[in-house]
Amino acid sequence: MKSARLDLMQILKDRNMTIADIPLWLIGMFIAFLWSLPFVWMVSTSFKLPQDVMTKDIEWLPHRFTFGNYTKVFEYPILHWAFNSIVQATVSTGLCVFFGAMAGYALARMRFPGNGLLFAIFVASLMIPAEVTVVPLLLAIIKIGWASSYKALILPTVGNVFSVYVFRQFFLGFPRELEEAARMDGASPFRTFILVALPLARAPAIAATVIIFTLNWNNFLWPLLVSFNDEMKTLPVGIAQFAPVVGSHTQLEGFSVAMAAVTILSVPSLLLFFFLQKYFIQGISQGGVKS
Amino acid sequence: MVELAHSGQPSKVDLSIKSDLSLAQERARPIDWIGYVFVSFFTVPFLLFNILPVLFGSYIAFTEWSIVGKPRWVGLANFRAALSDDWVVNAFHNVLLYGLIIVPGVTVFGLLAALLVNQRWPLSALARTLFFSPYVVSATVIGLIWVWLLDTQYGLVNHYLGYLGIGNIEWLTSTNWSLVGVSIASIWWDMGLAFILFLAALQDIPRDLIEAALVDGTNRFQRLFFIVLPMIRPVISMVITLQMISTLRIFSQVYVMTDGGPAGSSDSPIHYIYDAAVVRHTFGYASAIAVLLFAVIVVLTIVLRVVIKEKNRT
Repeated sequence: MKSARLDLMQILKDRNMTIADIPLWLIGMFIAFLWSLPFVWMVSTSFKLPQDVMTKDIEWLPHRFTFGNYTKVFEYPILHWAFNSIVQATVSTGLCVFFGAMAGYALARMRFPGNGLLFAIFVASLMIPAEVTVVPLLLAIIKIGWASSYKALILPTVGNVFSVYVFRQFFLGFPRELEEAARMDGASPFRTFILVALPLARAPAIAATVIIFTLNWNNFLWPLLVSFNDEMKTLPVGIAQFAPVVGSHTQLEGFSVAMAAVTILSVPSLLLFFFLQKYFIQGISQGGVKS
Repeated sequence: MVELAHSGQPSKVDLSIKSDLSLAQERARPIDWIGYVFVSFFTVPFLLFNILPVLFGSYIAFTEWSIVGKPRWVGLANFRAALSDDWVVNAFHNVLLYGLIIVPGVTVFGLLAALLVNQRWPLSALARTLFFSPYVVSATVIGLIWVWLLDTQYGLVNHYLGYLGIGNIEWLTSTNWSLVGVSIASIWWDMGLAFILFLAALQDIPRDLIEAALVDGTNRFQRLFFIVLPMIRPVISMVITLQMISTLRIFSQVYVMTDGGPAGSSDSPIHYIYDAAVVRHTFGYASAIAVLLFAVIVVLTIVLRVVIKEKNRT
């Protein structure tokens, strides 16, 4: 009896816990479990036959599986939307991170009049909600005939200040000896930046890339506004059509197909997050970003 | 799994305050004219697509402009019309209600979750991952999952509430509940950001402070209320401010879940701006409402700052 008790104490101690911690630990685990249930229900519903979805009994594990909902999703131009999403998110993120790295590097390392002012403007612009710029941008883009084009989808999302901020902070806190050595050897500022500085900035580059890519991949309002035809929709905008009859929407298919569609949509984001969590969290706790 | 990397990085904006010594060194260096080339690649799209539209938008708010034709200067007419438009008043009224539900919801849940998984206990890392994951998926995912969960007849939420003797609630299809239904989905979505910011703050509390309090024989609640919460107070106000600004801009989940309905009961200002611009092509009017929303955001942010400062003084 006594030894069993000692064992328990030892087990707890190995896990940094005391007996009084157990209830809190259980509550924490329980809430985390509840928090994940919507995703579980999404995946579960996506594998159900349509007639097994709207039932009074709750079936967490479907008693019969089908991939039919997924094949149904592919009857819509989902590959086209996925292509648009990939082009939009990749190009926009690539330009934003590369240009942001150049600007952040220059702001941290180079001396030129207006350096401090420019950074102050970048930071102050975070106060402006994207929505204030959206209506005039849309009007301008319609007027110059860019509606439903990749240019319109991509270019307005390139100026994300977060990228500049991350690189500036990194280079401010990083010794400049290597770069100065390269300059001494006669390398041009561009060569120094590309061959010496940028490879050193691997961590901020990954952090900025995963966060900005996620923002672009999930972006909803802007792609919704500029895609006037089905062809130019991105995945989030296209898949939103699977919403059931609410307001003026009309339902395309039942909930099982809708859940298959959102499973397809969420898997890339979740995988990216699971594998690159460290960078995600570093970036976010550093910048306190919000789309 | 979420292992909070030591977030020793400065979280405040460091507006190049340097020591006198490095300033003197800086002055001695020649001006890097090439710097302008380096910043121009980012600055040009930034000015074109982030700054210019603000100016252009402020201008068209004073005009009547449709897709065809030229702008016509109408002075304050758009603003006057907006203030007497019942739908606009309704949208702003709704967004304040959204704020009153979502901001406390996100703050309380985020803090609670962060406190519960802050220690290095078994499975804590997995729990952190679960808490944060909704934040990384798009509004479409959030919206559709919750439309299904909140379905009146067959939704999971009403099913389990039934066990508590609560009858079916029309979460998204009644004027009384639609705003609450959208808010629940929003709390699930947005909590991840608050959670991560709180977790980073909790991990930054010096260990010795807690250990000293333990030696003094304090209990859990004393430590929470007299050490932990005061230490993370700046982050609490940051989370409240960020969440308030983002909630005032609520749009995508409204668009996906209810399209503002029924009868405008879950409408938000941005959703109304979308209607005015995209559906009705009244760009001047839409811009005027956007300017009003911006003004509300600025005023509320300042008010919040003042309130938080006052509280800190007492």
